[in-house]
Amino acid sequence: MSTYTDLQLDALREMANIGSGNAGTALSSMLGKSVDLSVPHVSALPLADAVDALGDPESMVTAGVLPIFGDMDGVVLLLFTQEAADTLCTLLGVPPGSEYGASALCEIGNILGSSYVQAIGSMVDLHMEPRPPEVVVDQLGAVVSSVLAHVAGDQDVALVMDTNLEVEQEACALSFLLVPEGDGVNELLSRLGLPT
Amino acid sequence: MISTETMVRMGELAVSTGSGDVLTSIGLGSCIGLVLVDRAKGVVGLAHVMLPERPASVAPQPGKFADTAVPALIDAVVAKGARRVRLEAFMVGGAQMFTFGGGSMDVGARNAAAVKAGLAAARLPVRAAETGGDRGRTVRVYAEDCRVTVKAAGGPETPLLSAPSAGRMAA
Repeated sequence: MSTYTDLQLDALREMANIGSGNAGTALSSMLGKSVDLSVPHVSALPLADAVDALGDPESMVTAGVLPIFGDMDGVVLLLFTQEAADTLCTLLGVPPGSEYGASALCEIGNILGSSYVQAIGSMVDLHMEPRPPEVVVDQLGAVVSSVLAHVAGDQDVALVMDTNLEVEQEACALSFLLVPEGDGVNELLSRLGLPT
Repeated sequence: MISTETMVRMGELAVSTGSGDVLTSIGLGSCIGLVLVDRAKGVVGLAHVMLPERPASVAPQPGKFADTAVPALIDAVVAKGARRVRLEAFMVGGAQMFTFGGGSMDVGARNAAAVKAGLAAARLPVRAAETGGDRGRTVRVYAEDCRVTVKAAGGPETPLLSAPSAGRMAA
């Protein structure tokens, strides 16, 4: 039921590219460092495969979750490795692992998530409002499966768009996911001129 | 001894009678790891339940929804030789990792309630449970001695219930 054509996935990839480009620029000016972006990866996967695709489910990650409400509902999920979380804190001049560190990551999540959603919203002319992020440090699998259960649970397939950002040569990689709710994907696609 | 670990991923269920087998669900957040064991027969089963109930529009995937997973797992362990009256149940997971900006529905708590209700309807006792909270967990079931362990994110693997000594098995 939830399968997409290559053309539709390409259009979504381009849309994610514009969103993450905007987010990268915002992060770059916040940190005063150059930020490199990978070409976004867009895939429609069975839910269990979507969890596996993101890495070792037992590895610990710092995750920021921003729920999106509006013409399209969904979740933006930011995943930082522990090293990346520590590096970002250091770049911002706050001690990693401290309360200030957590709040700095929350702010980074807020800036990345809002600029991402804003760029996509204005591209497809949809009103989408991100809520402030929640940041947790937990198992990758527990984080991703809980987001999928909340957003895409009653479907067989989740559409996941992810991009990797790299901050200068700091070996600081984070991934960036947009997980729209079921009807949201169709809304996006019809706005992109490729209705299902 | 050769031990084979089977990953039971979101929405899946598995059973085993092999003495070296381990059934594992890694990264249970709001999901529930539902375990059924028949100690006398050495049959173990694990379902990785994702949501409380199956919407009518969705294709059946027995392990995914609590209302279908409980009967499906019972049938699966019985088919492997377990006696229904000897089954014991264990539950792990059902955390609330995020509030998602509204907290309108705590999927983890609803999952735990739905699995518990399903077990009560089937008249199966819950021998031990570790549910709720806000941490991810990993559950492992060892077919060798029907041992169930739980490991919270970043913590050590601890027994949810250790294998009882043979003498206490009689009843």
